[in-house]
This record gives sequence, C-alpha cells and structure tokens, in this order.
Amino acid sequence: MSTLIPEKPAPEKTGSPPGGPQGPATRSLLLRRLSVMSPLARRLTALAALAVVLVPFAAVLWGSGAWPGELGVDVSGPLDDLSQWIVDNRDTSPVFLYFLLHISNTSVDAVDGVYSVLDGLGWPGVTAAAVLLAWCAGGASRAGLKVAAVALGAFAGCGLLGMWDPAMLTLALMTVAVAVSVVVGFALGLAAGLSRPVDRALRPVLDTMQVLPAFAYLLPFVLVFGTGSPAALLATVIYAAPPMARLTALGLRDADPSVLEASASLGASSRQQLLKARLPLARKELLLGLNQTIMMALSMVVIASVIGAGGLGDEVYSALSTVDVGAALAAGIPIVLIAVWLDRTTEAAGERIGAPPAADGPRLLRGGPAWAVAAVGTAVAFAVGKVAGAAQWPAGWTVDISGSVNSFQEWTVDNLHAGVPVLGGTEVWASNFTVWILNPLRDVLQGAPWWSLLLLVAALALLVGNWRNALGATAALAATGVLGVWGNTLDTLSQVLAALALTLLLGVAVGILAARVGWVERVLRPVLDVLQTLPQFVYLIPVVALFGVGRAAAITAAVAYALPAVVRITTQGLKKTDPAALEAARSLGATGAQQLRQVQLPLARPALLLAVNQGVVLVLAVVIVGGLVGGGALGYDVVFGLSRGDLGVGLVAGAAIVCLGLVLDRVTQPTVRETDH
Amino acid sequence: MSTTLSKEPAREPAPEPTGAPPVFSIRKLWKVFGPKAERVPDSELADLPADELRRSTGCTVAVRDVSFDVHKGEVFVVMGLSGSGKSTLVRCLTRLIEPTAGTLEIDGEDVRAMDKSRLRELRRHRAAMVFQHFGLLPHRTVLDNVAYGLEIQGLGKLERRALAMKVVTKVGLEGMEHRRPAQLSGGQQQRVGLARALAVDPEVLLFDEPFSALDPLIRRDMQEEVIRLHREEGRTMIFITHDLSEALRLGDRIALMRDGEIVQCGTPEEIVAQPADDYVRDFVRDVPREQVITVRTAMRAGACSGPDHPGALAPDTIVATAIEIVARSGAAACVVEDGDCLGVVDHENLLAVVAGIGSERAAVS
Amino acid sequence: MLHTHNRQRRVLRTSLTLIAGLGLTVAVTGCGAADTGKSGSAGSTDSLTLTVPSWVGAEANVAVAKYVLETELDYKVNTKQMGEVIAWDALSKGTIDAVLEDWGHPKQEAQYVDKQKTVVSGGDLGVTGHIGWFVPKYWADANPEVTTYKGLNKYAAQLKTSESGGKGQLLEGSPDYVTFDDAIIGNLDLDLKTVYAGSEAAQITQIQQNYKAKKPFLTYWWTPQWLNAQVDLVEVKLPEYKEGCDADPKKVACAYPNTPLQKWLNADFAKDGGKAAAFLKNFKWTADDQNEVAKMITQDKLSADEAAKKWVTANPDAVKGWLA
Repeated sequence: MSTLIPEKPAPEKTGSPPGGPQGPATRSLLLRRLSVMSPLARRLTALAALAVVLVPFAAVLWGSGAWPGELGVDVSGPLDDLSQWIVDNRDTSPVFLYFLLHISNTSVDAVDGVYSVLDGLGWPGVTAAAVLLAWCAGGASRAGLKVAAVALGAFAGCGLLGMWDPAMLTLALMTVAVAVSVVVGFALGLAAGLSRPVDRALRPVLDTMQVLPAFAYLLPFVLVFGTGSPAALLATVIYAAPPMARLTALGLRDADPSVLEASASLGASSRQQLLKARLPLARKELLLGLNQTIMMALSMVVIASVIGAGGLGDEVYSALSTVDVGAALAAGIPIVLIAVWLDRTTEAAGERIGAPPAADGPRLLRGGPAWAVAAVGTAVAFAVGKVAGAAQWPAGWTVDISGSVNSFQEWTVDNLHAGVPVLGGTEVWASNFTVWILNPLRDVLQGAPWWSLLLLVAALALLVGNWRNALGATAALAATGVLGVWGNTLDTLSQVLAALALTLLLGVAVGILAARVGWVERVLRPVLDVLQTLPQFVYLIPVVALFGVGRAAAITAAVAYALPAVVRITTQGLKKTDPAALEAARSLGATGAQQLRQVQLPLARPALLLAVNQGVVLVLAVVIVGGLVGGGALGYDVVFGLSRGDLGVGLVAGAAIVCLGLVLDRVTQPTVRETDH
Repeated sequence: MSTTLSKEPAREPAPEPTGAPPVFSIRKLWKVFGPKAERVPDSELADLPADELRRSTGCTVAVRDVSFDVHKGEVFVVMGLSGSGKSTLVRCLTRLIEPTAGTLEIDGEDVRAMDKSRLRELRRHRAAMVFQHFGLLPHRTVLDNVAYGLEIQGLGKLERRALAMKVVTKVGLEGMEHRRPAQLSGGQQQRVGLARALAVDPEVLLFDEPFSALDPLIRRDMQEEVIRLHREEGRTMIFITHDLSEALRLGDRIALMRDGEIVQCGTPEEIVAQPADDYVRDFVRDVPREQVITVRTAMRAGACSGPDHPGALAPDTIVATAIEIVARSGAAACVVEDGDCLGVVDHENLLAVVAGIGSERAAVS
Repeated sequence: MLHTHNRQRRVLRTSLTLIAGLGLTVAVTGCGAADTGKSGSAGSTDSLTLTVPSWVGAEANVAVAKYVLETELDYKVNTKQMGEVIAWDALSKGTIDAVLEDWGHPKQEAQYVDKQKTVVSGGDLGVTGHIGWFVPKYWADANPEVTTYKGLNKYAAQLKTSESGGKGQLLEGSPDYVTFDDAIIGNLDLDLKTVYAGSEAAQITQIQQNYKAKKPFLTYWWTPQWLNAQVDLVEVKLPEYKEGCDADPKKVACAYPNTPLQKWLNADFAKDGGKAAAFLKNFKWTADDQNEVAKMITQDKLSADEAAKKWVTANPDAVKGWLA
C-alpha cells in the first residue's frame, strides 16, 4: 500500500500566507515542484490522499481480509426465482407468445430455409456458387482466379473430410446470423456515425461487448429460447454485430470532410449527402465490418454448439465427448477452410474498392456480365448435379483422417508428456508452473486486503487513463465482491495474469523474430491463420493429455489462442516503424540489437500496448473455456450454470467475468480509444 | 492627379455601380466561433484581444465586421495569410458556415433569410465552389464527378453525362473521363473540381485557395485557365488565395484580410501603389511594382509635347512597358485616352515607381 | 453551426426511423400469438428427435433405437447432442421427443413431470447405473487397503497433485453430474480435495494418461461406461447407502445408490406418437447389451449405425419383443 503513495498529500495550494512559518521561498519552491510534477503524479497524489482518508475507515468497519460479507448482495435467490418464472411461463406468458417466440420461430424458419436452399443446390451447385462468387468478388480477373481457387479448395476440403452436411448447416446458420448482424450493426452504426449523442451513448456499450467473453452470456438465451438455433443465432448476433456497428460509425464519421463539403456546396440534401457521398466513401470500412462480423459469427457459431447450434461446431463438440481428437480436427478443419474462404473473398472485394480498374490487371469480364456468368455457372452446376443424381457428396470421396491424427497425437503426447531427458516433460512443467507461479500468485491476490486491490486497480487505471477510467475499473472490481464471487474472481484473475505474461513473452519474442526475419513471417502466417480460426475445443484434449487436468491446461489453451493476435500486432508494429528513423540509426552505426532496443521497440510502443490489450481480451475468453479442462473458478461456474441451467451460479459468474474483463481492459487500454480496431 | 489615381481598375472596363444590384452585397458580416457567439459582434467583447476573448468567453472571431460588394463579371480576390478568416468568409457566402451577424445579399436577395430549400436552390444553381483539396468522390469516374452537381439537381443520367462531357472538354480533360480521381495528377484533379463547378452553370464561381496544393508550374497553368475561362464567359468569380502574385494576376479587385478584418480593398494597383497601412506595405514590398502600376498612376499632369501625342500610351499600360518605350525614344511619352491627352510620363516618373517612392509622392500630393 | 446541428438532428431522425422500422417489422410479424413448437415435431408421424447424451452407453441406446425406428417402422430420426439438464428442457418444449437414459434429475422431474406435466415417464431402460469412487486396479493390487475409504485416507499423500493443494486429489467430471463428493469428504473427514475437470472429455483424458503412466489416482466414476473396457478400475467402499442418507445434500456421508436408468417422453409425443412412442416405451435391454454396442463404437471404431445394425441382426428376438 505504502508504495502507492509517492509522498505525503500535497500541501494546500492556497494555504499559508507569504511570510508564514515556511516563508515565501519554501512555499514557492513547493508550488513549483507541484506544478513541475507531471499531471499523472498529481493525480496519483490525489488518489493517495483519498486513500489515506478512506482506507482506515473501511478497514475498521469491514476488516482487511477478503471481500467483507456485509458488502455483498445476494443475487442468486432472485435469479433463481426469475429462472423458475421463465421455466413456468415461457409457454403461456404473452411476452413469450407475442414476441420472443416469434423471434425464435422466425429464426428457425430462416435457418431451415437457407439450409434447404443449400441442400437443394446440391454439392455441385453450392461449390460452383461459392467459387464463382469468390471470382466475382476478386474482380473477375486473374487475381479473382486465386480467390476462386481458395473457395474451391475450401469446399472440396469440407466434402473430403466427410463434413459436407454439417458444413452446410453451419453455413446456413452463418448466413442468417451474418445477415441479421449486418443489418443491426449497420443501423446502429448509421445512428452513431451521424449523431454525436447516439455515438456517445453507444460507445461504452460496444466497448463492453468487445471484452465480453461469448461463453459468459449464452445461459440467458438458453433459458429464454431453449437450446437450438434461435438461442445460438441471437448469441451470435450479439457477438458479431458490434464490429459492424463500430466500423460503420467509423466510416461515416471519418469520411473525407472536403468531399462532404463539396457535396454540400452543390446543394445536396441530407439524404443525398448520405446516399451519394457518406456511404460510398465508407465502403471500405463497411466491407471491413462485414469481414470482421463474418469472422466473429463463425467463431461464435462454433461456441454456440454448446447450446445446440448444430453443424460443424456440434461435430467438434461431440468428438470431444468421446475424446476423439482426430474426429474433432476433421470437423475443425472445415471451419478453418470456411473462414479462409470468407476472409479472402471479402478481403479481395475490399481491396478492389478504391483500386482503379486499369490498375487491376487484365480483366476477363467486368461488372454485371461477371455476376451473370456466376449465376449461369451455378445453375449449370446445379442442373448437372441433378441429372447426375449427385446431390449428396459422394460417400467414396472422403478421407478419414481421424485415425492417423489420433495416433500422431498419442505419439506426441507419449514423447512430450514425461521422461524427456533434462527438460522433464510437459507434465512436470505444468505441475511446477502451478506450484511455483500460479499458487503463489493466487494466494497473494486472495490474501491481500480487499481495499488494497481496489486501490491498486484504481492507481493502474489512473496511470493509463483518466479519473473516469479509474472509477470504472474500481467499480467493476468491487462489483465482483458485491456479487459474492471475490475469491473465484481473484483465482481467475491469477490465471489470466499468468497466461497474459506467458503470451506476451512468447508473442513479443516471436513477433520480433518475424519482423526481422522475412521467411519466419512467411512460414508463420498460415500457422497463425489456422490457430486463430481453429475452434478452441479442438485443442482442449491434447492440452489435457499433455498438461493434465488443471489450471496449467487452461492457461496453455489460452496462450495458444491469444498468441497469434499478439504475434501479428507486434510484427506489424515493428515493421511499421518509421524507416527514416531506422535509417538514421543505421547511419550512426547502430547494431541490430541497438536498432531494435533504441528505435523499433520504442516506436512500436502503441502497437505493443494494443497487443497487451488484445491479449487480455483473448486470454480472458479462453480461461473461461478452460473451465472445461479443470481451470475451475469462474470458468467452471459458467460451465456449471450452462449445463445445469442454473441462472444463480452461471449468470453471476458471467457478470463477474464481464467485470473482470472491464477491469483488465481499463488498466491496459493505453488511451481513450480514438481509432476502433 | 490624385483623382485619376483611384477607382479605375486595371484591365476590365469599370464595373461601376450601375442600376443593377451587385451580385454579392455584404454588410457588417461577422462570424464568431464558440458558445453563445451571437453576443460578441458589435459589443465591447469584440474589442478584446483574440486570446483574451477566448479565455473569457471561449469564442474566436473569424470574420470581423466585413463589408464589400462584388459586381457582375468581376474577379474579386480575397487575400490573406492562413488564419486571416478568408476561407471562413467565402463559406459564409453560401452559408456552408452560418454567419453570426450582418447582412448578406445575392442579387438583392437576403441569403440569411433563405429557408432550407431556397438555400439549396442557391447552392445548386447560383453559386458553385472549387476547393483547395478538390473534394472529389474517389469511387466515381471523372465524368460522374463532373456530373455530380447535376445529379444532385435531379437530372437524368444521359442528360447529365452529356452536359458533363461538354464541360470536361472545356477544361481540357477529354480522353480522361473514365479515369478515377486517384489516377490523375493534382492539376488534373483540380480541373475536375473546376469542371464540376462549371457544369451546374452557376452565376458565381467561388474558389477557395484552389491552386495552393499544386506545383508552381501547374499553378500557373491553372491560373491561365481561369483567366481564359473568365475572358470567354465573363462569369463573376470570388477567389480566395494566400498568394499575392496570384491575387495580382487574377483580381480585378482585391480585399486584403488580416485577423478577420478587411484591411484594404481596391484594385491591384491601388494596393501596391497605396498600401493602406504598414501591414499592407510589408505585404507588397517585394512586388515588382513596374509590373502592376500603370502609367495612369505614374504620369504627371501636363500637356503633351505635340498634337501627335508622341509615345501615345494607353492609361492602363504598365510601367514596365512604358519604360521600354521611353527608353527607346529617349523622350517623355504621352498618356492618351480616347484621343485626349491625360498626362505625360518621363524617366523621372517611371523611376519613381520602380524605386517605390511613387506612393509617397502620390500621398503627399 | 445551427445548420449543421439541424442536419445532425435530421439524420438522427432518419436513422431512428430506420431502427423503428426494424422494430415494426418484428411487431407486425408479432400480431398473433406464436406457435410454441409443441405441435411441431412432437406428434408428427414420420419423424422424431432423440437426444444423444455425451457418453457412449447412451449413444448405444440411441443408435439401436434409431436403427429400429428407421428400418422397421419407417421413421426419420434426428439426433441432437446436448447436456442432460438442457435435454430435459428441450424435452419439455418438444424440441426433442424422448430421452432414453436418465440418471435421475429430481428437480427437473418435479418441474416438468409433476408440475407442468409436459414430460411423462417412458419406464425403465433396464440398465442400472452406479456412481462411486474408483481407483486403478494396479494401485489397489499393490495397496489393498485403498479399496476402503478409511484405508484410502492413509494413502492420500500419493494422490497429491499441483491442483489439490496438499491433499489427495479426487478427480471430478462434468458439472452435469450429480455429485455429493465435497460433502462426503467433509463428513467422513478425509484428507482429500475435489478437482473438477469441467468436462467428461477432460476427465477421461486424465484417467487415460494416468493409467498409461501407472500412476495412483482416485476418480468419481460410474458404470456402465465404455472406458471401463479399456481401463481396469476398482471401486472404493464408502459407508453403505441407506434409503434417505442422501436426503440433505450437505449431510451426505454414504455411498451413491444404484440408479435404475429411466426413459422419459414428451407428453404430447407419448400421446400422439403412435408406433414410435409405443416402441420407445417398450425399448429395454441389459447393461451387457449396451456395453456390447458401446464397445463396437469405441473399440472397434464402427459408426453408431453400423454397430446398431450388427447388434440388431444378432438379436432379432429382443427387437421383436420391443415391436410387439
């Protein structure tokens, strides 16, 4: 605690009259020192002053151990009542009959509808449609052929792995989820992009959604809608709409003012201004928003398999229950393939925007005709498929990879698990890591007086932001205590911190390597792509096999999940450093290490801070999933609540996770977000 | 002598106030940015120094009590350094920025009283603007950018494209109509901006530092282009610039702004020959005076040396030309207008102009 | 300023209108009461939906029932994987029509069977389930004492892991499962600590890993379970189960009861489900039968359908009985 107080509270500025005991000279010196002190130090001093007043009071009143019970509120009772009410009334209450059930039935119909279209097209039709779509998005040119090849590979892969049907179901769910997300996100983004007050109101909501681990809010949807596609769909929309809203607002807000002014000077009405200038100018951001929404939706559709979403996620989840890594991978790879296909297609479309047509290389076709060709091609493929009776993916055209994957997995585990000379083996590492790092960290956190942790968070949040930031972070942490999950929250926090430290160490090291050695980056890129899109469930089993049930396994899974983003951000940050500064350093004879330490890393600071922030959000998301492999604490509570439909446990844990996310976000978010990415 | 010095503009016939109202008539116009801006104009607050005003009220005066008329067919240049309020002023004319106080008329119609649709009408048909940063739509072709104003007016696709094509040709961009702005050079992009403004056939063209972002050579080309267009069409133009030589080249009259106020308004010759204060004098110090000042200013009153008017210079001949003639003939030259002798210029008069002592002499006399 | 402000207000209005329009669309479709789904899949004659629980024994039930329904009775059977409690919920709503293996969920029974009457009993499955504490046979052979809870307590130190905080680790499984282990440990004063794997997959992986390394371990486990064919486990004797000794979850200090596994049907389906409902009520087999199919699926790597076909072909009489 005392380390937090840099010095005694500042003497009052308008205090002793000149000539008082301190004398004018001393006083002006003090004043000068005060004004010389950075605003940061001044704020910390103020916080310290506040603490000196409040802490003894709080400590005497409520003690200095874990969160005092008197300050808790029992929410599980009312929540259980609510849950009971929902169960009793969801077939009779008008709220359900006239509103929620309509949503539910409409979404089921929509998903079924899209699925039957995909099913009706048959695999030749769907593949042709996807390939031609990719080709059109790629500009119907030679560059488009590359995108088309990716599409072909993706769909062939789905079929070959025997996952055609689940893939179509996932695609159907995705189509509906993305469509709804885009509409909702666009409407919100439009409102926020055009109106300051809406933007101000919406921004904190979107910020919060961004740190919300998807797992944390599945439960209420299950309760209201039951399992199946409606709950999955709505959870997905909530997860996937924010990036669309953010980027739409950003695009509208950042539209080149000179163009808007020119448009206004020609007498454009506000409608013309929006439709003819603002929206076209924001096309790039809109497409980026679509891209991100698709990626988020895809990852969520997999997570939603836990609540009966069906499709590929369900296959992965089922394979998990029989501990069949091979089968899980066979279902996981199509997810990666679909992700790559959709990513490249939207990316190609995005790149074409703004790129003038002549610079686009030879065009085979352009505009309308290309789309017509795509439509005709799909129809032909569909007809051929129908005639040949090839609606189902041919059973003979599949490859069973699960056997070889499983034996490879087993071999790896056997060799790494224990008995590696000198190094010990993963099991030993895990146990040492738990005993020497995790346990002490958890014990320190759980043993520290509750008010000291609040102060620490406030100070950290002040260091990176302003008073509002600090207040928000402190309130969020206090909320976990009020909810009665103080101990579990700190347990989870210790896991997040350990995972974060590991992720940053590894991520920054690999990032530096990738930024400096060209081929490392080239090799890493596809690996990172796969790691980022592969459903987390797939690697839970190998992780347990290697590290045993427990927190070490959960942390490993979290590191594996968060690492790609950290590596990528670090690499980009380092590579983007001003070449002139680097050249200047080189001309002064700086060695490679000196360049890195003195120029690149300091200049890449914003990127590194962003990496920390992203790392926090991602790590937190998986530590929850870690509840499935023995991570315990809040993650287990969420899983428990979800599988038992226990709102009292699950929702409270979910809320605590959200609070923890807010705390971590506030203390790592470098400045107030100006740019949204 | 001093009577003949003023009033007459350099090149064009005098747009003397006739029966017709001026195209733009601006009286006591104010633009104040900040909270409760309307309390500042004409109050004692307005007399505060800028930083004090900002500290006490949070307001900044961008345009301060400005009055001037712009006549039909005239090129009216507003010149000043950055921050002088000239760009704000030109935006006030079509209420892209809402003025705080004062009156503002176009063809005698009160612009500040216009409702939304009337104002839109004004922007669509009567005044079009060319911007420093072009403001082109990057996703549209040159042709569709030029047609944009027509599109906003609600013209059909074929019609507006046909009209736009004519303007594209007029500004010398034929053959490039299907390119995108990003594929054009800066000069070409500004030609598109110019064409877009011309396409709606406005009564007045407003230029906001249109050539500041261009290379010097291209800038000169574009200035020629504007001069050519003006000669061909005689359209009224209001031209904002921070470049004195540009102002002198283009302007029939120049308003020189400083800190939101017009410090001097007059012909280029007046500005150069008779700076209103030290600020203006400092501004025009390096101008090659013999290129701006005409013999009408340089001459002394007096009879010609003969009825055949030796030399016979027109009154708007610039001094540089007169020097050549006088140097060749070795004698004073007559200044003649409509067969009447107005006065004489000799070595002494001309040298005084070059030396920069002409203005003092004019002021003394 | 005024002007831009107006413009902002105007666009704000436009976008609000847009959002309102969205809402209106929802409202318009909402002018009538929605179909609660009750009369949907349940009761229709040609298709039904069964839940596939996460363990293979239950998967064997579904596989065989599905095979018979599809080949003999010409039904289309959909299967859905979900957790047990969630399955009860879905059963009540009619999202699924039947649960073929239930290990006892008193709270859900009270809610849906007794109170809402949306679920009715489908009778015994014929298999008896048993939950208990298990240790590997190699460890029990070396230390015969560990097969009773008192003896086990002396060896608790050998069960220590980095997660168990100085005590012996009792490995727990998915949060789905009914467990009184924390109470039992406390009430019997044992030097053990529960460690929740969080999922059955994690628990099984851990057991396999320990078994391979011939390490001592103690786990919450049950029979029938397919893994029992791969690993040889011995049950630890707890104080004998007596009726009512588990009445208060906090005071439990006895073994788990034997559970005759139950079948449950959606009420509407039971009434209108015709032959399918009748068949599912009749469906009954032994633990050995179930294990045989489960083993075909896990050990012989047959697909569920193939395993079911093989078993049905080999046991025509049993099938005939169900269809009677």
